[in-house]
Amino acid sequence: MFNRIGIDVGGTYTDAVYITNDQIQHTAKVPTQSKNLVETLMNAFDNLKIQDEQEISQITVSTTLVTNAILQNRIPPVKLFLFSGNGMKVDALPWPVTYTELRGEMDYRGREITSPNEEEWQKLNLADLEDDYSHVAIVGKFSHRNSLHENLLAAYLKEHNPSIRMALGHEWGQSNFYRRSLTTYLNLGVSDLYQQFVQQLQAAVKARNIQAPIFILKADGGSLPLAKIRPIDSIYSGPAASVLAALTQTSPDESSIIVDIGGTTTDIGLALSGVPLLSAKGARIGEFSTLVRSLAVRSIPVGGDSVVRLNDQGVVLENYRLGSAYCLGGGNPTPTDAMRYLQLIDYGDLGLAEEGLGSLLPSEQRTPETLEKLALDIINIVVEKIARAVDSLQREWQEEPAYKVWEVLHPQENKTFKTIVSGGGARGITTALGNRLKTPVQLGAFPEVSNALGAALSKPTFDCTLHLDTYMKQYRVEETGEQGKWTGALRPHREVAGFIEALAQQQAADYGIEVQDMEKEPFDFFPIVQNYQTVGQIVRGAVHVRPGVIGRVQG
Amino acid sequence: MKKTGILFFPAFDWSLGDSHPEREERLLYTQEQLFEEGVLDLPQIKQYSPRVAALKDVLRTQALFPNPEAHRSGLDPHLISAGSSLLLGEAQVKGEIHNGFVMARPPGHHSGATVWGNRGFCSLNNEAILVNDLRARFGKKKIAIVDTDVHHGDGTQDIFYHDPNVLFISLHQDGRTLYPGSGFVNEKGGFNAWDQTLNIPLPPGTGDEGYHYVLENWVLPRLQAFAPDIIINSAGQDNHFTDPLASMNLTAAGYGRITELLQPDLAVLEGGYSIEGALPYVNLAILLALAGEDYHHVREPQKIKRNTVTLAALKPYIQELKRQQEAAKPNLSFQSKPFFPSGNWIYSPHSVYYDTEGFQETRHDYVRECSDCGGTVYIESRKYTEKSILVRIPFQACPSCEQAGYDLWEHLQNSKESFSYGFLQNQLHDTHYVWNRKEGLRKF
Repeated sequence: MFNRIGIDVGGTYTDAVYITNDQIQHTAKVPTQSKNLVETLMNAFDNLKIQDEQEISQITVSTTLVTNAILQNRIPPVKLFLFSGNGMKVDALPWPVTYTELRGEMDYRGREITSPNEEEWQKLNLADLEDDYSHVAIVGKFSHRNSLHENLLAAYLKEHNPSIRMALGHEWGQSNFYRRSLTTYLNLGVSDLYQQFVQQLQAAVKARNIQAPIFILKADGGSLPLAKIRPIDSIYSGPAASVLAALTQTSPDESSIIVDIGGTTTDIGLALSGVPLLSAKGARIGEFSTLVRSLAVRSIPVGGDSVVRLNDQGVVLENYRLGSAYCLGGGNPTPTDAMRYLQLIDYGDLGLAEEGLGSLLPSEQRTPETLEKLALDIINIVVEKIARAVDSLQREWQEEPAYKVWEVLHPQENKTFKTIVSGGGARGITTALGNRLKTPVQLGAFPEVSNALGAALSKPTFDCTLHLDTYMKQYRVEETGEQGKWTGALRPHREVAGFIEALAQQQAADYGIEVQDMEKEPFDFFPIVQNYQTVGQIVRGAVHVRPGVIGRVQG
Repeated sequence: MKKTGILFFPAFDWSLGDSHPEREERLLYTQEQLFEEGVLDLPQIKQYSPRVAALKDVLRTQALFPNPEAHRSGLDPHLISAGSSLLLGEAQVKGEIHNGFVMARPPGHHSGATVWGNRGFCSLNNEAILVNDLRARFGKKKIAIVDTDVHHGDGTQDIFYHDPNVLFISLHQDGRTLYPGSGFVNEKGGFNAWDQTLNIPLPPGTGDEGYHYVLENWVLPRLQAFAPDIIINSAGQDNHFTDPLASMNLTAAGYGRITELLQPDLAVLEGGYSIEGALPYVNLAILLALAGEDYHHVREPQKIKRNTVTLAALKPYIQELKRQQEAAKPNLSFQSKPFFPSGNWIYSPHSVYYDTEGFQETRHDYVRECSDCGGTVYIESRKYTEKSILVRIPFQACPSCEQAGYDLWEHLQNSKESFSYGFLQNQLHDTHYVWNRKEGLRKF
């Protein structure tokens, strides 16, 4: 039994859906008032016509707030200090922000090579850190193996000004100094904005007398309680929600290609036996490459409103829109006009669709035959672009780098896919897309509120990745950045399974979630050898709860 | 943008033995270093996933004795390493990448024309398999291999010793002081491919400066004169000053410079077992150099403790070595068997020691003297009492050497002589056969 609310706070509209078990009770779509989010949210709740607020078990929210703030460059400056050490030149990669490099170096085992230099710190110009709201991010190369230098500098700066807001890189425990630096920077940069959003959300929920816990949807398609999520993890929850929404309309073990056609952009995702495909690399947002785990989604600049032109080579689809489709009163022919002319969709004016397509041709060529051919060409181009993105996504899945013999000898099995298309022009391309992808195609239900629906039925995702070095007597957890002392055996065997289990349970308790059906990755054991003697082991292992949906809805 | 391909295959679940140098841990810290640096985020770097080589890819270059099946168990990691080389080679030839680095385990350069097992940690010769794939499938004619592993690339030398279209250059620590004990200046190739093998044995303590001097003054001019279609670098990392076995005193940045000087189209990882002190840094420097990035900031934490020979002292030594190399003349011995087709057959017996498993292979090699091609090759190879025979019709074989190959092959299948398996390596037509009296003929 569950009674859930899903809300998608977009830039223009806020959508909401109220679901009881597998039935949608009510949906709502209200304009987003960016100056008054509390009222926006209260409006949405009111439209859901909730009978008994106490019955609601969970509210899950997806928001583009953080995404938009980053893309529109609306984040306050963060002072970034780097212990960059030797290696590749720091500026070999593009940095969208400024930074200060400091002395101090660790190696890949977390051993100190060069210690920091306090005299260097004393010479730092800390004038711009006098402000009580100053933001400072400190990131060291290999700090995910040893956070010592970050901690020392943090303590030093705290003494200088106790109210500085600081973020340390090792809290993002994955490899990649560059991405860790930018992720730490961004997460701190958006934290005030996110806190404000949390307060507004809580105010609206309280005003409507709802007691249910509030969860936030993340880029990886999972949700976490709003106090536990790291703000930057909320980026790209829109595409994640639309993938989840499609999953609510498939059977649990099905593999699906998910296509969501918008006005100018089409999002494409992949689910393998019911589990959405995660991107091998962290998300990239604007100029920032991050460590944020996200679903593998391709966004291509093709949509129902894309402008169509004709040149010597034939039909060209522009990657922008100029108002709505011709048949809906716009000034330019679009794929929507082609769909309308072929009567694949029933909205828009048929006569205008013909006029719009005709405007691409010299008047003497505007015969029904040429117009039909033109319309079909346009649809085929849309379908071809989508199909190429699907191909590239499937390649990403099949060609994931393999680092073990076993993985190479057991490649991904081919799966039978079904395609789920939703969005404005979905109906218009179903047949053509099915023919091109050679899969059955199903129309997605509830296109008006699909993101809210996906959010509502999301479940907590969970990952706990252990890196244990028994010789150095250190363990680290990637997801939390925890670094601790190992007191177990030099060559642990069974012991390590219990250890990761305990870490995972503790982590789940900290998040305030219950984890069931944890998927355990087999451990990798690396004997550490010195002078032909095994002196310890590096052990790597992980447990996961994959993204997915907790229920299905009837279309 | 000119792309640099990387195929990183550390074989994290495979080792040659618990505390063996070729173990799971070998590329672990390299992975840590590369991933932490964010090298894969460089826009010009493109990562590839490994693939398994087919048996035919191997048999075109190496005869697996007594027969291919005898190697099936345990060959998988080697097939992946070889297949990974082929994959990146194909990407380079097709122009997807400008150059690339096959950073895969296990290595291959001690594995020769005939293979009875693992030696020097190698079972299959990744670079040689790659070279012949580029010739067979992509029509490449002239290929150069520069082997910068600290050990002599004796397997690669063996495979191409009679091949006039492959230039093999090996720089290594003098064989009088290091495994496998070969690679002297007088080993200059078989008579049909004379001077297409260049061995440069270097004294211990050569160091960055000395090594670069040899490259600039000896290797690069030789490469330029040969004008290859493609250059492959067997990139062993055991010249590094932290190497536990060798003593060449090179640094990671020194390796970056080697790469910059050689400008290889493909680098293929060979040996190097200073897995903490050298590999993370040397691998990074080579990759950065291939990608056209500054590698001078790659600095290993340890400092050089051994003495380095000064350039002033090294120069006369190298000049004398070069003089000896130029003066060396072929030492020919003609000998043939009664059933050999017409022509002069150059005979060279030798033996190969398989250190991993501890046995000796005894070989009798015969090559048909030819001024038009590499010449038909006939090799009798014995391990204990078991004998297998390889007949090779080389790439670009002339009609009479091709015919000689068929005659030998025909004779083998009808002879009363006792041997377990016969092997026809027809590189000219890229078809390969294994034959046994009981099992008959099989085509690859």
